[in-house]
Amino acid sequence: MVALIVAGYWASRLLGHPSWAGGFPTLVGDRFMAWLDTVYAWIVANRNDSPLFLYFFNYVSVGLGSAVVLVDRFLDLLTWPGVTLLGVLAAWRAAGWRVALLVLSTFAVFALSGLWNASMTTLSLIITAVLIALLVGIPLGILAGRSEGFHRAVRPVLDLMQIMPAFAYLLPFVLLFGIGNPAAAVVTAVYAIPPAVRITALAIRGVPSGAVEAATSMGSTPWQVLTKVQLPMARRTILLGVNQTIMLAVSMVVIASVIGAGGLGDAIYQALSKVNVGQAFQAGLAIVMLAIALDRVTGAVGHGARTPDVPERYRLPLLGGALALVAAVAAASRLAGVRGWPRDLSVDLSDPVNAVYGAVQETVGSTTAMLATWLLQGVLAPLATLLTDSPWWLVVLAAAALGWIFAGARAAAVSGAALVAVGLLGVWSNAMDTLSQVLVASLVTIVLGVLAGVVMSRSDLLAAVLKPVLDAMQTLPPFVYLIPAVALFTIGRVPALVAAVVFALPPVIRLVDDGIRGVPRPTLEAARSQGSTG
Amino acid sequence: MSTLATEAAHTREASSDVTFSVRNLWKVFGRNADKVVGTELEGADRERVKKETGCTVAVRDVSFDVRPGEIFVVMGLSGSGKSTLIRCLTRLIEPTAGQVLLDGEDIGEATPQRLRELRRRKMAMVFQHFGLLPDRRIIDNVAYGLEVRGTQRSERYARAREMIEMVGLGGYEDSRPGELSGGMQQRVGLARALAVDPEVLLFDEPFSALDPLIRRDMQSEVSRLQRELRKTSVFITHDLQEALKLGDRIAIMRDGEIVQVGTPEEVVGRPANAYVADFTSDVARTTVLTARWLVREPYPDERTDGPVTAPGTVLAEVLPMLAASTAPVRVVEGDTLLGYVGRDDVLRAIAEDQLDNAAAVAAIEEEAAEVLSEAAAAHSSGDAGGSAPAPAGSDA
Repeated sequence: MVALIVAGYWASRLLGHPSWAGGFPTLVGDRFMAWLDTVYAWIVANRNDSPLFLYFFNYVSVGLGSAVVLVDRFLDLLTWPGVTLLGVLAAWRAAGWRVALLVLSTFAVFALSGLWNASMTTLSLIITAVLIALLVGIPLGILAGRSEGFHRAVRPVLDLMQIMPAFAYLLPFVLLFGIGNPAAAVVTAVYAIPPAVRITALAIRGVPSGAVEAATSMGSTPWQVLTKVQLPMARRTILLGVNQTIMLAVSMVVIASVIGAGGLGDAIYQALSKVNVGQAFQAGLAIVMLAIALDRVTGAVGHGARTPDVPERYRLPLLGGALALVAAVAAASRLAGVRGWPRDLSVDLSDPVNAVYGAVQETVGSTTAMLATWLLQGVLAPLATLLTDSPWWLVVLAAAALGWIFAGARAAAVSGAALVAVGLLGVWSNAMDTLSQVLVASLVTIVLGVLAGVVMSRSDLLAAVLKPVLDAMQTLPPFVYLIPAVALFTIGRVPALVAAVVFALPPVIRLVDDGIRGVPRPTLEAARSQGSTG
Repeated sequence: MSTLATEAAHTREASSDVTFSVRNLWKVFGRNADKVVGTELEGADRERVKKETGCTVAVRDVSFDVRPGEIFVVMGLSGSGKSTLIRCLTRLIEPTAGQVLLDGEDIGEATPQRLRELRRRKMAMVFQHFGLLPDRRIIDNVAYGLEVRGTQRSERYARAREMIEMVGLGGYEDSRPGELSGGMQQRVGLARALAVDPEVLLFDEPFSALDPLIRRDMQSEVSRLQRELRKTSVFITHDLQEALKLGDRIAIMRDGEIVQVGTPEEVVGRPANAYVADFTSDVARTTVLTARWLVREPYPDERTDGPVTAPGTVLAEVLPMLAASTAPVRVVEGDTLLGYVGRDDVLRAIAEDQLDNAAAVAAIEEEAAEVLSEAAAAHSSGDAGGSAPAPAGSDA
C-alpha cells in the first residue's frame, strides 16, 4: 500500500504534477466555504433581530451566563474559608480523610498560586455545565435504559458525539451563542452528556431482571419499579457516570478557553500563546489538582469505599451541623472583610519555573531542537508532502483498501467516503498535513506503549509504581499536556506531536499490560512445558 | 391473620371448586407469533414451526384446573415451557392465546390497573433466584408488596415482622439480603409472598438454586406452611422427588405440552406414556404407591384376618406387615373396609419397579393377570396356593 502511494507520488511528480493527479480539486470546497461564509454573515447580521435568536438562543445564552455568574457569586459569597471548609467537609463525608486532605491541598494551590478567582470561575463553569449535562443526560439515560427502541435511536448519536474531537464542538456553539461563558457552559455540557446517558442506561439495564420481575409480580406500577427498584440498584453505577461527566466537563472547560471561557483554562491558553512556561505551569498545576480532586471525590461516592461510617441517626444532624458551620465561617469571614484569597499572600511559582525552564532550554535545548528539526525534516515534512502531492484518488483508494483489509466492505466504504468528504470541504492539504502527524504520533505511541506495557506486565513493582501515574495522566485535561511539550521543544509541530503521544500513551500501556496479564495460566504453563523461554 | 385466611378459604370452597382454571393456553415467542395458533401449524412440532415462522412454541394448548387449597405441581425438564407457563398465569409474560381464570375472572381481560390489583392482593410469586432487592433491609423486602399497595409503615412492618418470624428468620429484620445464605434468602422470598396474604402462591423452581440439604429443609417448610395456611399453590420444579413430595397433583410437561396430570400415585403407578414411564422409572415405587392404589377384592377362600392399615400407608410400610403375616392386609378407611392387599400384589408392584421399559411393564402386567386368574382358578379348585406362582416365575 505504502509502495503504491510512493509510486503514485513519483509518477505524478515525473509527469509534472498534472491537475488530475494532484491534491483534491478545490472547486467544490471553495463554493462550500463561500456558502458557509454567507451563513455566518447572515447569523451575525440577524443575531439581534431574528426571532430564533431573540427568543431562544439569546435567552438561553443570558440564562446560562447568569447561571454561571450565580454560582460564581455564591462561591464568592461563601468567601475562601467557607468554600474551602465546604469542599473539605464534603470530601471527607464522601470519600474519607485522605481525599479531604487532597481537596485541602487543591484549595491551597488555588490560593497560593494567586489563581483563586480564576479557579472559582472554572469551578462555577464546571458546576453549571455538569448540572445541565446531568439534568438532560440522566433522564435520557433512564429512557434508554427502559426502552430498547429509544436506546437504539440514541446510540448512534452518542457514538458520533464521542468520536467528534473536542475542538469540533466549539464552532457551532460560537455561532449560536457568541463568545464567552454561556457558550462555554453549553459546549461543555453537550460534550459531557454522552457518558451520563450511556452509563445511566447501562446501569438501568444492569439491574437484575429477577428483581424487576419480582417487583412487577407484586403489582408495582412502572414508576414504582423505577423509583423503588431500578434507581436504587443502579445508583452506584449512575454515580460513576456522574464522575465521567465531571471529568469530561473539566477537560472541555479548559479547551473552551479558546472561545472565551474565563478561568484557569484561559490562564493556560494565554500563557501558552506567550510561551510563558512558568505561568502555564501554575495554572496547569491548579487545573490538574482540581481534576484529580473532583475525580477522587466523585469516584469514591461511586465505589462507596473508605466512606466514614456514620450511624444512620447521626447523619442528618451531621449534615445540618456541617452546613451551619460553613455558613458561620462564611458570615464571620465576610464580617472580617475576607473574600477571595488576598493576592499579595500568594507564592509566585512562575519565576522559579521560568528559571528552571531557561536552564533546561540551555542544557538540552540544542539537543531537543536538533531532535525536533530532524523529526520535522526527516519524517513529518516528507510524509506530509507525500500525502498532499500524491493523486488524491490514490490516497482515497488506499484508505478504502486498508479499511477493507482490516474491517471489511463497510469500513472501506466509510473511510473512502470520509476522505472524499474531507476533499469536498476544501481542506484536503490541511487534512493530509494532520493525517501525517496523526500517523507518526500513532506509530510512536504504539511502539512506546507496547514496550512500556510489556515491561510493566513483567514486573509487579513497576506496575505498582506506574498505575497511579497512569491514573493521574488519564485525568489530566488535554491542554495540560502541551505545557511540558512546549517547555522542551518550544512551539511548532513537534511539541504538538509529543503532546499527542503523551496524551494517547496511558490507555495503550494499560491495555497491553491488561492483555498480557490476562493470558490464562494454563496456556503459559503449556508453553513453558514445551520449553518456551520465560 | 390465619383466621382470615381460613375464612376466605371456606367462602371460596363454597362458591366454586376451582381456583385457577387454565384453558387452551398458548405462548409462542417470536415476531409471527399470531401466525401459529389457529392455523395448520398448530399441530406441527417445534422444529417445523421454528423453521417455517422463526417462532418458538413455549406453551402449547395447555389446560388444567387448580383446586382450592391444593399444591399443583408442574414438572418438566428445562425447556419444557414450565417457567413460561407460570408467568402466563400472572401475565408477567403475555399469553398468545387461551384463557386463565382466577376465581372465574379472566385475567387476560384485566386492565393494567385491575391486573396490578390482582397481583397486589390475590397472587404472590416466589422466584428461583429470589428476586430480592439487595439495597433494602430484610424487613423492607418482606414489606415491599404492602408498600406498593400503600399500607401504612407501622402496619406493614408489624405484618412483615410476623412473616419473618413465621419463616424462622426472627432477628434478621435489619440485615441485607447479601448477608444471608441462599436458603435464608429464599425464606425471605417466601415471607415476602406470604406478607400480602395472597389467595394463590406461585412458586417458580424456588429451591433449584439451593444445596440439596437446604432444599430438603425448605420443602419441609413449604409442607408445614401449607398445612397451616392451606394456600392454593402452583409449584414449578424439574425435580421429580420434590414434585412427589409436595404435590397433591402433578402435571408433567414436555415440549410445551402437558402429557399427564394426576396424583403422585397415578403418575408413578400408571404413566400415561413411555416418556412419563421413563421419567418415573428411578422412583422407588414402594415409597410412593399406597395401599389404596393396590387394594382389591378378596380372592375366594382367602384369609380375611390380616393386619389392618389405613389406605394412605405407603407400600414400604405395608411390607413388614405382610412379612409378619401370611394373610393379606386389610385396608380400612374409618369404619369402611376398602379391600385387601396381599404379598403377590406388593411383589408385582416392586417387580415393575425394576423394569425401566413401559412395554415390558405392560407385558408383565398381562402375564400377571393371566397367572392371577389361574391362581384364582386354582384357589377355587382347592389346590395348594403356594405352587401357583412358580410357573409364572420360570416363564419370565
